[in-house]
Amino acid sequence: MTEKFHYDNKIVRNFALATIIWGIVGMTIGLLIAMQLFKPAMNMGSQYTTFGRIRPLHTNAVIFAFVGNAIFMGVYYSLQRLLKARMYSDILSKIHFWGWQLIIIATVITLPLGLTSSHEYAEMEWPIDIAITIIWVVFGYNMFGTIIKRREKHMYVAIWFYIATFVTVAVLHIVNSIQLPVSAFKSYYVYAGVQDALVQWWYGHNAVAFFLTTPYLGMMYYFLPKMANRPVYSYKLSILHFWSLIFIYIWAGPHHLLYTSLPSWAQSLGVAFSVMLIAPSWGGMINGLLTLRGAWDKVREDPKLKFMVVGLTAYGMATFEGPLLAFKQINAIAHYTDWIVAHVHVGALGWNGFLTFAILYWLIPRIYNTTLYSVKLASFHFWIGTLGIIFYAVPLYFSGFTQGLMWKEFTPEGLLKYPNFLETVLQIIPMYVMRAIGGALYLTGVIVMTYNLIKTMKAGKLVANEAAEAQPLPPVYVAQGDDKKLHRMLERKPMIFMVLSLIVILIGGMIEMMPTFTIKSNIPTIASVKPYTPLELQGRDVYIREGCVNCHSQMIRPFRSETERYGEYSKAGEFVYDHPFLWGSKRTGPDLQREGGKYGNAWHYNHLYDPQTMSPGSIMPPYEWLAEQQLDTTTTRVKINAMRTLGVPYEKGYEHQANSDLDKQAKAIAADLQQNNIKVKSDKEIIAIIAYLQRLGTDIKAK
Amino acid sequence: MKEVINSNWSTGSTSADIVIGLMLITAIMILCVTLLMLKVIKFYVKESINPTPFATPQEKEKRRLEQEALQVIKDKKPSIWTKLMQLKPMEEEKNLVMEHKFDGIAELNNPTPAWFMILFYGTIIFAIGYLLTYDVLGFGKSQEEEYIAEIEQAAESKVAFLANPANVKNAVNENNMEQSKDEAIIKNGASLFANRCTPCHGEHGEGIVGPNLTDEYWLHGGKAKDVFKTIKYGVPEKGMIAWEKSLSAQQISDLTNYVLSLQGTKPAGAKAPQGNKE
Repeated sequence: MTEKFHYDNKIVRNFALATIIWGIVGMTIGLLIAMQLFKPAMNMGSQYTTFGRIRPLHTNAVIFAFVGNAIFMGVYYSLQRLLKARMYSDILSKIHFWGWQLIIIATVITLPLGLTSSHEYAEMEWPIDIAITIIWVVFGYNMFGTIIKRREKHMYVAIWFYIATFVTVAVLHIVNSIQLPVSAFKSYYVYAGVQDALVQWWYGHNAVAFFLTTPYLGMMYYFLPKMANRPVYSYKLSILHFWSLIFIYIWAGPHHLLYTSLPSWAQSLGVAFSVMLIAPSWGGMINGLLTLRGAWDKVREDPKLKFMVVGLTAYGMATFEGPLLAFKQINAIAHYTDWIVAHVHVGALGWNGFLTFAILYWLIPRIYNTTLYSVKLASFHFWIGTLGIIFYAVPLYFSGFTQGLMWKEFTPEGLLKYPNFLETVLQIIPMYVMRAIGGALYLTGVIVMTYNLIKTMKAGKLVANEAAEAQPLPPVYVAQGDDKKLHRMLERKPMIFMVLSLIVILIGGMIEMMPTFTIKSNIPTIASVKPYTPLELQGRDVYIREGCVNCHSQMIRPFRSETERYGEYSKAGEFVYDHPFLWGSKRTGPDLQREGGKYGNAWHYNHLYDPQTMSPGSIMPPYEWLAEQQLDTTTTRVKINAMRTLGVPYEKGYEHQANSDLDKQAKAIAADLQQNNIKVKSDKEIIAIIAYLQRLGTDIKAK
Repeated sequence: MKEVINSNWSTGSTSADIVIGLMLITAIMILCVTLLMLKVIKFYVKESINPTPFATPQEKEKRRLEQEALQVIKDKKPSIWTKLMQLKPMEEEKNLVMEHKFDGIAELNNPTPAWFMILFYGTIIFAIGYLLTYDVLGFGKSQEEEYIAEIEQAAESKVAFLANPANVKNAVNENNMEQSKDEAIIKNGASLFANRCTPCHGEHGEGIVGPNLTDEYWLHGGKAKDVFKTIKYGVPEKGMIAWEKSLSAQQISDLTNYVLSLQGTKPAGAKAPQGNKE
């Protein structure tokens, strides 16, 4: 007796549309910030469109809006068919869809306004973080509801990856979002300095692992065999690479913090586990490529399969390069340069982008019950997209090596060959131009795809509810033959499967984070390090708002080239009051960890007001509004209180005195500026940020 | 100002020029090869559609049979790729298909390739070795130890550099600096002054954020040795940058001579005197 039911295609279509729209938005913003790097005028003179505020918008739009919607599209399509069941609840599907779009819209509004928590790839402020948690749970509930009412006894490998994605992203997001709100749109992370850095990069690295990798592997396991009409190459390999991948990935985060103040043992764990990641990652690639065995003649003709092959190859390259970059010696050159930007874009444009396009080309004609409008246009998209990736990545690799080596070069006299940071920037500007051309080519391909898909949709009609039938599960199941094996048993038990994958991913995170949080010796205290003054604290928040951390690191590594250029290398104990940490990950401008006292207040004023006057040729945008906007001192009291709650030793009752101290310090700076013929009122934001910059790194310099 | 940027550009970009040149050459080579390939393909297509008669039909048939026999032998021999991936022949695939199917997707019971397992276990062994080396047995240097070694080595090479008589002029310092009016030196100083000093002291030393350098008044002393010292160590509390890390002793000396040569030039828009008359 077969049961009749319908697959929900409308929700798949909606997520597909959202994928396309947000893809174009995210990539266009990417192109804009790429152009800002060689043409500062593209910052458009407005605080809402400067690189520092827009760059997080690009990363979040592409990761969570484009890739996020694509994941949901792929999951909602494949899950129903793999389980022979409609999604658990249409209402939950709708809440999930609209909730996610609202979160994206809220992000698009708040990030340009400067409402940011500054954790990379998680810049959204706390109300949005809560919304993300709720919607993610809705998604998980809907997915598990579907799994429970399935008509297929065993869960296919794609679903293992979906389950691991769901639990791990939930854990990552919650741990990385623990903040203390100080107002509706401002909060401080409860972690400080080294610990905050460890949490951020544990999250950041695993966002790549469990948002950009595991769900896509799951989708690859469904859509690739479907497209090629071939069996999956090796079931054994899927088991091995699935479990090893999720267990090992979670440990690798600290490789983002090599040569920093993170304790050495944690850095070494990051290196060791990154090396072990090669095989599990490649397991996915070879299982995909070998599935195409016997179908290579189709690859020659079918642009979808071409996208798949290049996507898998890009995945293989990126996951081989990742462990290489995790070696200390290579990282010493590559870190803070465009090499890393090139690396992530090979993954993002090649793996995520191309897989998404292939799936769209496959899925849209199916749910519209028609054929693709133009295979030729799809082919054109493939070639221009591939060309775009090459034009994007090659110049940036070159720029990365060039700049990384220039920073380290000394003259025979023992001086830095390029003491002026700007010289090393001007050297790579042509590469930035080429990169933007690559990005434009890639975006052109996406627009061509959009046209092609709209035409396809118009030619067909959406099959909102697709009829299907299947046998219900027998009430009693007796395992026979191979089904008695341990892993087959696990594939029948979704809850046990989920708990097991949760345990597997928790091990690495716990072992790395617990000691860093609890053992004192990991962060030696420095007596001379004192909390920020109220003005500096406010200035720091302006620094956070403007997204300075997107271009300026605050972490001097123990290399001669860095201590010569910037000053004494950073110590873990210097960051104990930094909620959040602001070490940064890319040096488009110089490091600022020892900026305090290097230049006069007037220099900073002029430089912020118009960087080109103090550094001719600089690509930093001018920050005129800092000199016009009044510093909001009504928040000082709650900020001091919040910091005290987080363990910063402000004396009891200091919050009442804080604003008068703030005023005093601000007046002193304004008076100093006055002496240099700069007339500015002491209540402007620029005074606060100058105070913060002048404080940076001076605590241990003074001794 | 502009000139300095440009000169930095051209001196530093030789490697870039080489790479761009290489890229161009490669691109041209690829173009040539492609054109050649196109020619070959065209020829091939033409020949296969309308072959030039060479041999009699019997001869042709014989050749074809020979080719076929060779192909059979070749097909039986697994390729390097097949061996490396431990791939089973396609005909045997049906024996590998597992019982279950998911939405029409079958799975094969292929073993994981041996090279893959070697890679997998190899990296695990390497990782254990790495952790032992750096964090258990202590063979590997910590990053602080690496840093100390790097600094010591730099100090040694600096001593070696100064020991060479050719480099002695670089030994000039704030105690032995003597003013020079040599035109070449002053010209060199002027080029160092542009861009580095102009943002604060003005194009002609008239003073902007920093003091006027053309009058007789000095905040930190106007003798050659004093000026040298001010440039070298800076006056951080007043915003004057220390240049000892980015300019060689010789360059600081040249710059000092240029600054001293500005005395009495009376540029337009000069800042009011600061400090003491000397």
